[in-house]
Amino acid sequence: MADLTKKTRRIALGCEGSANKLGIGIILHEGTSLSSSTSTVLSNIRHTFVSPPGTGFLPKDTAAHHRAFFVRIALQALTAANLTIPEIDCICYTKGPGMGAPLTSVAVAARTLALLWNKPLVGVNHCVGHIEMGRAITGASHPVVLYVSGGNTQVIAYAEQRYRIFGEALDIAVGNCLDRFARTLEISNDPAPGYNIEQLAKQGGRVLLDLPYAVKGMDCSFSGILTRADELAAHMKNGGKGPDGEPFTPADLCFSLQETIFAMLVEITERAMAHVGSSQVLIVGGVGCNERLQEMMGAMAAERGGSVYATDERFCIDNGIMIAHAGLLAYETGFETPIEESTCTQRFRTDEVLVKWRK
Amino acid sequence: MATELTYPCSLTLDVPFPDARLANVALQALRVDKELSALVQKDLSAVDSTLKVQYKATTNRMLRVAVNSFFDSLALVLEVMEQLDVDVIEARGVQAKTG
Repeated sequence: MADLTKKTRRIALGCEGSANKLGIGIILHEGTSLSSSTSTVLSNIRHTFVSPPGTGFLPKDTAAHHRAFFVRIALQALTAANLTIPEIDCICYTKGPGMGAPLTSVAVAARTLALLWNKPLVGVNHCVGHIEMGRAITGASHPVVLYVSGGNTQVIAYAEQRYRIFGEALDIAVGNCLDRFARTLEISNDPAPGYNIEQLAKQGGRVLLDLPYAVKGMDCSFSGILTRADELAAHMKNGGKGPDGEPFTPADLCFSLQETIFAMLVEITERAMAHVGSSQVLIVGGVGCNERLQEMMGAMAAERGGSVYATDERFCIDNGIMIAHAGLLAYETGFETPIEESTCTQRFRTDEVLVKWRK
Repeated sequence: MATELTYPCSLTLDVPFPDARLANVALQALRVDKELSALVQKDLSAVDSTLKVQYKATTNRMLRVAVNSFFDSLALVLEVMEQLDVDVIEARGVQAKTG
């Protein structure tokens, strides 16, 4: 470990499988001091388990997908990075949070790799992975972070070596609300339900249908909104009319759902920015790909004299490279996870991690 | 209220590996995750190049579920060994460069 700080090239392989994406990525850190080191993506390969329209992904099937594809994706990542095993410094895996069976399936493979290659193993918090990758790609130095995905909804700001949670979803995650509404409408899950809702919403907007607006202090609630959206969808299928006496379409529903829930996210993010005195917003997580969310957040940030930082689907949507990056940052400070302690956990809060690599 | 659980249903497996190193890798990779149910007990050990697996459960149903899940994980470990062990990757790299 002592010589790692003197090593000018450090390489980590990261394995991610907390939900329906299996991702393996390889990252290179160059430079001797933590503050001046640069990060280069050597490879970032992903394969997604897509369930049929009207259905979600179940833990058992998702874990089977990850087991079936692990070796293939790992070989692709190694080939794309074009390096030899001795050059790799550590193996990183997602410890949590996420779905138990998929997490465990990838952890078993990551442990096997670490043992075969005789490399240290590093357990990574999935949320911290998203945040660190977002910071590295966008260059946002001290942003308020909005982390929005199928399993997580959090407004986060950094203070004293912790990513502090300022606000979060009280029930289901914002992405879960979108995913499940896509199921109600039986929209395709390929490439992602949220993406297809976003495309459909662009055709809507003739009416803004009334949905509950559920911001509670710094927190949000999405399950009641989903229930109401489902009711409206049933009403529509039965030939019901909108508030103006005219029929409305699935596109109008998608538009109304997006406008309502994104307005809630913008509101709590703005309050967090005012509280910590930051004008930067970094959006990470799968829902962060949504360009309408980025646009609404950008309008708010511009009014505050700031800007929004977002990444594209390669880094927003779950991937292996973010696990490699966050794991390598921790490993550079001397952190590693002994094999016998390399368990997974479905619940692992963002603020449990000591962020030793930041001042 | 708490009655002592008994584990009348059991299964013992001896999984042969090419060498002791691989048996030991499988042992370390597979023994970390605890059984999710208190109705199942698992005990793993490696003796030379053999992985010794002992499952005990309260019912045959629990035993079947746990052992099936173990086989899923074991198959993954074996595939990683076959395709991603250091010598296999090196051979693949040489092949790519020469051919």
